[in-house]
Amino acid sequence: MTTTTTTAAAPAAPAATAAVLEAHEVETGYGGVQILWGISIVLAPGTLTALVGANGGGKTTLLRAIVGQLPLWRGAVTFDGADLGRLPPHGRAARGLVLVPEGRQLFATMTVAENLELGATPRRARAAARRNRERVLELFPRLGERLRQRAGSLSGGEQQMLAVARGIMADPRLLIVDELSMGLAPLLAASLFAAMRRLRDGGLSILLVEQNVQLALAVSDAAIVMESGRVARSGSAADLAGDDGVRKSYLGV
Amino acid sequence: MWSETLLASTVDGLLIGVVYGLAALGLTLIFGVMNVVNLAHGPTMTLGMFGIYLSATKLGLHPFAGLVLVAAGGLLLGVGIYVVAVKRVIDAPHLASLLATFSVNLMIVGVATAIFSTSFRNLSHDLGVLRAGPIAVPGTRVAAALLAVAVAAALQVFLTRTRLGKYVRAVAANRAAAELVGIPSARVLALSFGIGTMLAATAGGLIALSLPFTVLSGGVYELKSFVIVVLGGLGNPLGALVGGVVLGLIEGIVPVFARATWVPVLEYGLFVLILLVRPSGLLGGGR
Repeated sequence: MTTTTTTAAAPAAPAATAAVLEAHEVETGYGGVQILWGISIVLAPGTLTALVGANGGGKTTLLRAIVGQLPLWRGAVTFDGADLGRLPPHGRAARGLVLVPEGRQLFATMTVAENLELGATPRRARAAARRNRERVLELFPRLGERLRQRAGSLSGGEQQMLAVARGIMADPRLLIVDELSMGLAPLLAASLFAAMRRLRDGGLSILLVEQNVQLALAVSDAAIVMESGRVARSGSAADLAGDDGVRKSYLGV
Repeated sequence: MWSETLLASTVDGLLIGVVYGLAALGLTLIFGVMNVVNLAHGPTMTLGMFGIYLSATKLGLHPFAGLVLVAAGGLLLGVGIYVVAVKRVIDAPHLASLLATFSVNLMIVGVATAIFSTSFRNLSHDLGVLRAGPIAVPGTRVAAALLAVAVAAALQVFLTRTRLGKYVRAVAANRAAAELVGIPSARVLALSFGIGTMLAATAGGLIALSLPFTVLSGGVYELKSFVIVVLGGLGNPLGALVGGVVLGLIEGIVPVFARATWVPVLEYGLFVLILLVRPSGLLGGGR
């Protein structure tokens, strides 16, 4: 296994373009158990990056470290050039670092409209709430028909749409989505991936954690492969999709 | 004659029941938002009773003006209790928060006993008697019930119509997700504990308008609040009000048919029965 610690997820990005997010030598874990071993990633602005790898490889742990749910043991995370230090999750969301967590985590007892409204909590998001609301209702028209329904009563696909929509209401500069397609029918998953694509085309930076490696590599610009708490490979999504090792391990071909 | 007594007792029970419901609302709100059973609930009610009593006797305030002081003081006290005692155990197992709030309970009762002793106080604020046909009820009881309803309605408006109120509901529904959309959950938790304590203190003040009390009275009403929230469903605000009315009606009606000493037997019997056959409460648990 390679123990490369510094890797550019988007190697083609010109040096002049500052990274939207950079993790440097990040190490952390739960209790006394270390999960991440010197993770370094760089996300170029305006790109859709896929983070893939086997279950238990530390993908969700890395996301939790990035959004401040889990303190770092070592290393640093910088967002838009500023070290995030010990900033709590709500402070990171206020700066535009927004996670759509695994399992949707909606405010189930509240209405769809209220979930969207609460997404726009940070000050800068409130200023852009009207525009973002139009954006998400255009992206997911079905949510527009269900505004008065309780979020918990939506179907799985609608819940995932609402989770993404709530994240967009926070006016993210980087949108991180954990397990976008989990538990969804293939057609629904494909339409959510297409939505990610459209968001990226609109200039949004996105980091996508995904079980479905094939689909993830097909829609992404760049990809990072994690194994056992380390970055195993990274590069352009097209290169990784054509790589024999990756094909053998994750695509089953 | 007999039916008139029954009617009067029913009205009486209904009026005090609404106030019980307000107290239970405080308990159930705190549980619903942060999953903490607040064992300092009773002493907070006691402080509300003494607050309204002292503002009337020492400051010469009208009881309803004293009530505003009690509410404001309750809010601050609750935030203080949260920051000092609850915050550090908020993610610990239940036993830790039970012990933390129970310690606050013991401290308040201890200090209050040292200052006020345990003798009875009586505000006996008189607003005359309201008559409607055969029924006559003390005006203070009616005023207390109306105020309790008004406070509960104001809470409902706060929770459903204001941004801050929606933060409270969002933190109750999913604290981690609330953080992720930028809601400062630590502050919202402190505020929620403050509001819950404010409701308890206010209910204590309303009870003190028409009933005698001691430093230890809060303990009695704390138990009633527990019966009520279990009756209505733990964490369910509407259930707390309904449960309060049920308990008030039992207290009003039972003495018409049997000795008043049967009241607690029935109340706690009902408590056990609900736990056995419908542990989620009459209206189901809610958030």
